[in-house]
Amino acid sequence: MIGEFEYLILSAATRLREDAYGAAIRQEIEDATRHGCSIGALYTTLDRLEAKGFIKTRMGNPTPRRGGRPKRMVRVTAMGIRAASDFYTAVTRVSRDVSWETIRVAVR
Amino acid sequence: MGDDPSRGPMMTRVCWQLVEILSLMLHPDERQAVRGDLVEFGATGSQALRDVLGLVVRRQATPWTHWRPWLTLASLVVPLGMLLSVVSKSTADGSAVYVWMYANNWKWDDLGNAGFWYVFVETVFLVFKWYLALACWSWTSGFVLGSISPRMIPTNGVLFFLMLLFGALVGAPRYFAYVWPFRYGAKGPVFSLVFYRETFPLIVLALLVVGPSLWGIRQGERTERLRPLLRQVLWIAAMATLPAMVIQNPELSVFLKVFRRREIWDAWQIWLLQLVVYWPVAYLVASAIGRHRHRRMTSI
Repeated sequence: MIGEFEYLILSAATRLREDAYGAAIRQEIEDATRHGCSIGALYTTLDRLEAKGFIKTRMGNPTPRRGGRPKRMVRVTAMGIRAASDFYTAVTRVSRDVSWETIRVAVR
Repeated sequence: MGDDPSRGPMMTRVCWQLVEILSLMLHPDERQAVRGDLVEFGATGSQALRDVLGLVVRRQATPWTHWRPWLTLASLVVPLGMLLSVVSKSTADGSAVYVWMYANNWKWDDLGNAGFWYVFVETVFLVFKWYLALACWSWTSGFVLGSISPRMIPTNGVLFFLMLLFGALVGAPRYFAYVWPFRYGAKGPVFSLVFYRETFPLIVLALLVVGPSLWGIRQGERTERLRPLLRQVLWIAAMATLPAMVIQNPELSVFLKVFRRREIWDAWQIWLLQLVVYWPVAYLVASAIGRHRHRRMTSI
């Protein structure tokens, strides 16, 4: 089973499709979680996902917008899609009949 | 889009310079991608510094969750650092007597004496041989550390040099005080001078251990690009050099009693082992010739 941060990266990369690379994935995660995402966490997790065979990365072409530096492009593999799907299924299954909004209001 | 590294205030410039230096510890591809991400993300100098520092720390810390770096630390970094600091101190003390003899007692009249020249040449050759051997051992140690795990070079390098420093300041003096309590005996006048007792060993350590080790680490890092057979030959030479260092140094006889057994010195294997120590010289000369020929071929 993958971890929650790994799931976030797999989901963001899948959403971004051909435009999935370091900075774009980071932006997606920050927008979704409303929390900062460090480059250290992002790149070490990308390595881990690649080692597990869940993603494939390659160096893209340099662009002027990035000061002439290349992007590390990310593509989610079939194994990665399966792992993310399993995680999502587990989360939705375990969250069944749990209404966090209601509980949150009650706790307040 | 973040602050411009070239036009920002002093602090920003310092931060970006630190980012530049720190990112050298990353793989070249990753360095480019990360720097590009920072520009695109519009990171300020301090944000960029925090991000790159975080990545470098993670990169260096992650391997320590496995057993290999610990094995490298215990079997190579610590022993090599200690051994080299002991050998360096011993070489410095041994050669200090000759340096003192000529530097502090120089007489111009001696130049006309044939006997002076005979002893002078012999001394220079002897000291040069010691220094070359020490530089080769240091280079080999760096080479082994650099080739064993290129990704761990920054951490292993820092630990190795901390070990050398610890060995030079604490380990070696204590070791010699234990092995030879009256070591300086007749050399008293030389070591009564603070320069030869304290400063000279550090100069020898910096020039003949730290410098060659750094060079060896750089060369070891590049072995990944070599052919497997050549890589194996280099490794065998390196592995033969390290026991030779222990065997050849009388100061290390506490570790191995081999040095005291004179009869083994006539064996051809030991002679060969003594020559193998100088393999870095052969390797560097061969590399330089290879590069020169390659440049000539490409320019034709």
